[in-house]
Amino acid sequence: MAPGPFEGELIRLRAHEPEDVDRAFTWLNDPEVRQFLGRQYPFSRKDVTERLLPAPSFASALFAIVRKEDGLLIGDCGLFGASPENRGASLGIQIGDKTCWEGGYGTDAMRVVCRFGFETMNLHRIDLHVLAWNERAIHVYEKVGFHREAVCRDAMFRFGKYYDILVMGLLRGELR
Amino acid sequence: MTSIFEGTLIRLRAREPEDAPLLYQWFNDPEVTEHLAMRYPLSMKSEREFVESVSSPGYAHAGFAVETLAESRLIGGVDLINIRPECRCASLGIAIGDKSFWDGGYGTDTMRTACHFGFAMMNLHRIELEVYANNERARHVYEKVGFVLEGCRRQALYKYGRYQDVLVMSLLEGELRLDHRP
Amino acid sequence: MIPTRSSMEGRLVRLRAREPQDEAAFHVWFNDYAVTEFLAIRYPVSHLAERSMLDSEPALRHERAMFSVETLGDGVLIGNCELRVPGAENRCGNVGIAIGHTGYRDRGYGTDTMRTLSRFGFTMMNLHRIELTVDATNARARHVYRTVGFVEEGLLRDHRFISGAYRDTVVMSILRNEFQEDPL
Repeated sequence: MAPGPFEGELIRLRAHEPEDVDRAFTWLNDPEVRQFLGRQYPFSRKDVTERLLPAPSFASALFAIVRKEDGLLIGDCGLFGASPENRGASLGIQIGDKTCWEGGYGTDAMRVVCRFGFETMNLHRIDLHVLAWNERAIHVYEKVGFHREAVCRDAMFRFGKYYDILVMGLLRGELR
Repeated sequence: MTSIFEGTLIRLRAREPEDAPLLYQWFNDPEVTEHLAMRYPLSMKSEREFVESVSSPGYAHAGFAVETLAESRLIGGVDLINIRPECRCASLGIAIGDKSFWDGGYGTDTMRTACHFGFAMMNLHRIELEVYANNERARHVYEKVGFVLEGCRRQALYKYGRYQDVLVMSLLEGELRLDHRP
Repeated sequence: MIPTRSSMEGRLVRLRAREPQDEAAFHVWFNDYAVTEFLAIRYPVSHLAERSMLDSEPALRHERAMFSVETLGDGVLIGNCELRVPGAENRCGNVGIAIGHTGYRDRGYGTDTMRTLSRFGFTMMNLHRIELTVDATNARARHVYRTVGFVEEGLLRDHRFISGAYRDTVVMSILRNEFQEDPL
C-alpha cells in the first residue's frame, strides 16, 4: 500500500484531539519556543483548544505532527487563509518539543504539509512569514524549495524592538 | 491652519450612504477593477452594506472618501486596514474610481494625505501595500511618495486567465515625502 | 495584460450581480412551466419567498457566484445563471442557467450567456472543469451546451420525476483546455 498523504519519513500528520491540548499549551507558553512566534500575548488553555480542535478544511487546515516511532505529539503545522481563485495559502509550523529541534523532523513535516497543499488541496502557491533573523528556519525552508521573496522592514515589534519579516514562497513543482 | 484631512488637491472625509451609487458604478467598471483585488460583480445592495459598515472611520478601519478640494466632487477612496497595533503597522488600499482624475496628481496627493494621517494621527510606524506587477503607473506614484519596494510574491494573483506577480511595498515613519507640507 | 473587454460581457449579454428589484421578473419566470419544466423548481414560488431570498443573498464569492443576465445594448433583464463550487480543491463548478424572458429564446442569448459564464469561471475563478446536468428531453439546451464545447458524459436513467413520468438526465462538462474563447 502506498503511503497516504499524511505520512513522512519520520513524522505523520493527523487531526488534533482534546488530549493534545495540555502538551501544546505547555510549549506555546515556553519562551524558548515563543521567540520564533509572531504572538505577543500568552495563550490560555481555551485559546489553545480553540486553535487546535476545529476540523481541518480548505479554509484552515491545521495538523498535529507526531513522531512515527512512538506516536508522540511534537508540534503542529497548517495551511491557512487559502484563496480558491488564486489557489494560494499561508503555511505555519512549529516544533514545540525541543528535543526534536534537530534530527530532520521539521524538514520532514514541511515536505508532508506542502505536498498535502499541492496534491490534496490543489494549491498553486504556498507562502510563509518568518522572522528574518531566524536563519535556521530559513535554511530548512530553502532546503525544501522555498524562495526568499520579500523583506518586510520593521513589520514585527517584540521585546522592545522592531524586526524584519521575510516572506518566502513555493510554487507547485518547486517542492524538493 | 490647514486641515489634517486636506492635501493640495483633495480632501479625505468619512464615507456617507449617498456615496453608494457612485461606488457601485466604479467597482463594476472593468477598467477600475483591473488593478484591484475585486473580481466578482457587485450588487447595489452589497455596496450599500459596505458603505454603511465603513462609514465611521476609526483605528480598526480608517476608511475615507476622497473628494476634490476645488468642487468637493467624490473621486475615490482610501483605507488603512488590517492594523496590528503592537507593530503599529497598517495595510493601505486606494482606488481613484473617477477615471477623469486618473492623471493630474490626485492619486499622489491622496497617498500623501492618507499616509500623513496614518503617521501623525494614528501613530503608525509602517504602512504596507501590495501592487500587481504590471501596474507601473501605481508603482511610480507609490515610489514618488516614498514607498520602498520590498519584494515580489511570485504568481500570487490569478486574474484574466493567468497568474501574476504581486509586489510588496512599504513606507516607514519618517520616509514620507511631503512636497506640499512644511 | 489589459483586459480587452469586460470579463463579464459577451457578444449579446452582460452578467451582473442580482438585485432585490429583479424579483418581479424572477417571480414571473419561476412560475412559468415553460421555464421550470427543465429546472429543479417544482412548487409555486411566492413574491415573499423570492424577495426574502434576494434580500438575504450574500455578495458573489467562489463558493457560489450568482448573476443576473441582461442584454448588452439596452440592459433588459432576460435571465439568470450561476456557478456553484462545492469543493474548492476539485476546482469544478456546477452551472445553473435560465433564460426566462420569452422574447429572448432561440436567438443566441443562451449560448452567449453560457460562453460568458464559462469564460468567467475559467479565467476569473480559476476553475478546471465546469459541469451541468440537463433534462434529456431538452434538445434545445443540449444543442446550446454542445455549441459552447460541453461534452455529453453520461445518462442518469429515470433521474427526475416531473409531469407524471420519469425522465433521464444528461451529464455534460467542459474542461479548461477545451474551452474556446469567442473571438468576437
